[in-house]
This record gives sequence, C-alpha cells and structure tokens, in this order.
Amino acid sequence: PNTSTAFRLSCPEVKVPFPVFFTVGIVSLAENLLVVVAVMRSRNLHSPMYCFMCSLAAFNTIASVTKTWENLMIVLADAGHLERRGPPETDLDDVMDSLLCMSFVGSISSFLAIAVDRYITIFHALRYHNIMTMQRTAAILGLIWTLCAVLAVLMVKFFNFKFIMICFIVFFVVSLAAICFLYVYMFMMARIHAKNIAALPGGGRDKSQHQRRWGSNMRGALTLTILFGAFVVCWAPFFVHLVIITVCPMNPYCECYRSLFELHVVLMMSHALIDPAIYAFRMAELRHTFRKMLFCSDWKFCL
Amino acid sequence: MSDFHNRSQVSARRSDYVWQYEYYEDEEPVSFEGLKAHRYSIVIGFWVGLAVFVIFMFFVLTLLTKTGAPHQENPDSGEKRHRPEGCLVDINGHQDDNDKAFSRPLLEGSRSYFNFYISEEDQAHEKQKPEDKMSSAKDKAERLQRSAEIDEMDEDVEESGGQHQPLSGLIEKSKSDRDRECAFLSHFSIPNFVNLDPGSTLGEDDLLYEPSVILERQSQAHNGHCDTH
Repeated sequence: PNTSTAFRLSCPEVKVPFPVFFTVGIVSLAENLLVVVAVMRSRNLHSPMYCFMCSLAAFNTIASVTKTWENLMIVLADAGHLERRGPPETDLDDVMDSLLCMSFVGSISSFLAIAVDRYITIFHALRYHNIMTMQRTAAILGLIWTLCAVLAVLMVKFFNFKFIMICFIVFFVVSLAAICFLYVYMFMMARIHAKNIAALPGGGRDKSQHQRRWGSNMRGALTLTILFGAFVVCWAPFFVHLVIITVCPMNPYCECYRSLFELHVVLMMSHALIDPAIYAFRMAELRHTFRKMLFCSDWKFCL
Repeated sequence: MSDFHNRSQVSARRSDYVWQYEYYEDEEPVSFEGLKAHRYSIVIGFWVGLAVFVIFMFFVLTLLTKTGAPHQENPDSGEKRHRPEGCLVDINGHQDDNDKAFSRPLLEGSRSYFNFYISEEDQAHEKQKPEDKMSSAKDKAERLQRSAEIDEMDEDVEESGGQHQPLSGLIEKSKSDRDRECAFLSHFSIPNFVNLDPGSTLGEDDLLYEPSVILERQSQAHNGHCDTH
C-alpha cells in the first residue's frame, strides 16, 4: 500500500535466528548453574566473595532461563501452537519481563557487591572478617534480591511512565561509575605496592624481574579492560535503546538503531555467558571444586 | 508481515520496548526521504564511541603502570629484618618497633597508606586477647589464602597457586603455637607486610612472586631465630 515507498529506504529489522538464542541461553544456563551448585555444595566456598559470585550466577541463570523460555514460546506461537493474545500468554509475558528486569538489576547489584567486597579485602584487610561477616553477607544478599523483585514488579507494571525508565538508566550509569572507580582505585594502589616491593632491597634488581613485573602489569590492565569492556559492550547497547525510545521514537536515525534490537538482546544474553569466565572461573578454588564435581567418579567421597 | 505486527502488538502492549513498529501503525510512518547522513549513523557513532572508550581505558591503565617513583636502595632496612624478636614484633604490636620497621624513606610514596596500615594493625591487636593469638594467626592465614585466591584473577594460575603451598605447608608443619606464629610471621615480617594487604584483585603475580623471593631468603633467617626459642 502507500507505506511501501517509505519502507523501501527504511532500516529492516535485523533478525537473529532462533538457534543462536537457544545456544547462548542454554550454554550460559549450564555455566551459571554449575557455579551456583558448586558454591552451594562445597563448604570451603562459603565465604562472602563466593556468595556474591553465586548470587551473580543465580541472576544470570534466571535471565538465561527466562530468555530461552520466551524464545520457546515465540517459536511455538509462530508455529501456531499457542494463542498470542490469550490471557495466560500475556500474563506469562508479564512474568517473564519482570524476571528479566529483576535479573538485570540483580546482576548489576552483584557486580557492585563484588567490587565493594574486593575493595574491603584490599584496603581493610585486617578488619575484613569483622566488616564482612557471613550474617552481613546474607543480609546484603537478602536486600539485593528483595529490592530486585520489588523493582522488577514496579517496572513492568508502570513501564509507561518515563520516570521509571529514567531511574533505570540512572541506576545503570551510577553503578558503572562506582564499579569503575573502585577497580581503578584498587589497580592504582596495587601499582604503588608493586613498586614499593620492587624498591625493597633484594627485589626488582635484575632485568628479569623488571620484565616480569611489566608483563604482569599489562595483564592486570588487560584483566580490568576485559572486565569493564565486557560489561559496557554487552549492556550499553540495550541501554542506549531504552534512551532512544524515550527520547526520539520518531526519528529515522533512531529507528535504524532500534532495528538492531535483537542483536542487542543477544549481546545482553552473551554477557551472562561470559560472566562466569570473567569472575568465577578465574578462582582456583572454584575450578578445583568443578573438577571434583565433574570428574569425580565416587560422589560420596568427592564433596 | 502480519505475524510480525501481531507479535509486536502483543508484546508492545505489555512491554513497549520489545518491538517498535507498533508506533508506526498508530501514527504516520517515519519518512526516510531527505536524510542528510547515512541512516545507520547513530549505530556507527555509538559503536565507534564504545570502541574508543574501551581502548582509551586500556591505554590509561597501561599508562598508570608506567608512572611511579624510581627505585631506591635502603641499606639499613636489611638489619631491621634480622632482628631476633622479629617473629613476635607484629603479634605483640610493639608500637615503636613497628614504626621503625615501617617508616623508611623509600616508602615515602605511599607513606600515608602504610601509616594507616600500622594504625589498623594496632587497632586489630588492641582487640586481641593473648589467648586469641593463635586463632588470629589462623584467621590471618585463611585470609591470606583467600586473598591469594583473589590474586588468581590472572592467567598465571600455576605461579600464584604455588604460593598457597609454602604458606599452608609452613603452617601445618609447625608444632607448637609459637613455632606456628614464627613460621606464619616469617611471611609477614617487614617486606612481607605488603602480603597482609592481599595485593590486588588483578592477579599481579609480582606481588606474590617477588616477596616470595624475599620470603625464602628470610624464612631461613627467621626459622633460625625461631628454632632457638
């Protein structure tokens, strides 16, 4: 009809094939579930740091399950097995959106908690056990989960209010800034310590140690960049999407950005995929527990 | 196309952010004529900006690694390390000994940090009762092991994983409380107090590796002292 001329030059929506969604969802589900089970079953992983990582993995698990379930529903609806506008489907859609919001806010809060925990470990090392007791950890985790549940329900019920969206975006930016500040501060202090150790007699005299230190400095910078880079690259496109639908819904440039929505969702899901690799799998204790869990033949004596 | 619009209506009703073509059914369609720049310019600009940000951050971090105070050699620090009471300095919290041990000119760069560190340790020791000495030593050992795990953010697992062994092996082998404290503290004498600060989350294996060189040199000296007790 008469809209065809306008659509001829428009940005077609980019479709991501369902197998990609399913693969990403299922692999991230498996990884995060492994982390959750490992932390819960292994006694020596019951420390604040691992609890926060477990919480992060749990939120990622929820996100993966929800997204995979939603894709399954879409596939079934496309095949005609499901009624699109029936009340159960729309309610289920609401529930899934709430869970997605909850997992999003929860994983950002978990990142913040992990950064604060690392900060306290470094800068208040002697009082760490008094500051970060298991009771306080449980209280913090309870607070995070309750807050996320409440926010999720509110956000989905009142999504039409721009205020909610602005809160969402502000929360993201503030968390990112806080995490950035904490890690860069820790990195800088680590540099100072490294220099001081090197300045002590007996340390840092020969070239090989200089080179080794330079190598590990580069690795530290690379680790931090990966940590942040992954967070920003995976979450920012979706957030810019939210900003754009608030600010310029009718602009053709904005519409071209919005046409890439499914790609941005896949990026968000892939963050749940790479989170364990960045946070959990780098801890030797956790890797050791995985090996025992997966490759141990006699379950009774393994854990 | 109709399937697509149906789907967009169902989900857009509940969550407007899922598919946006819903808007264009109710209002006039967006006109794509007369665009001055490329239609994907926002997308391209966003990703270029993101890439620049990440690369900029990486360069800032590597630049931070290159700046710093030049290395100085302090000749009298070596004598301080071999004090006979070196084992018990930290636990008993002798204020003046710690001050002498920690305040050296080469540490000016982060002097305020280390003084803060000393005051923390004194506070920590004020709360300690003498009978809690052993548990506190064990706590510290656990914390060091845990923090050493934080250091394993890095790829060099073998190197930093190996650091667990000297510490735990050292502690397990000692028999009496005092021997255990001495063995534990041989890792925490003056250059090694930086180990109490668990290094970094960034797996700077130099923080574990370089002190270990100093550790091995000193552990012999301290073990010698401890054995005579």
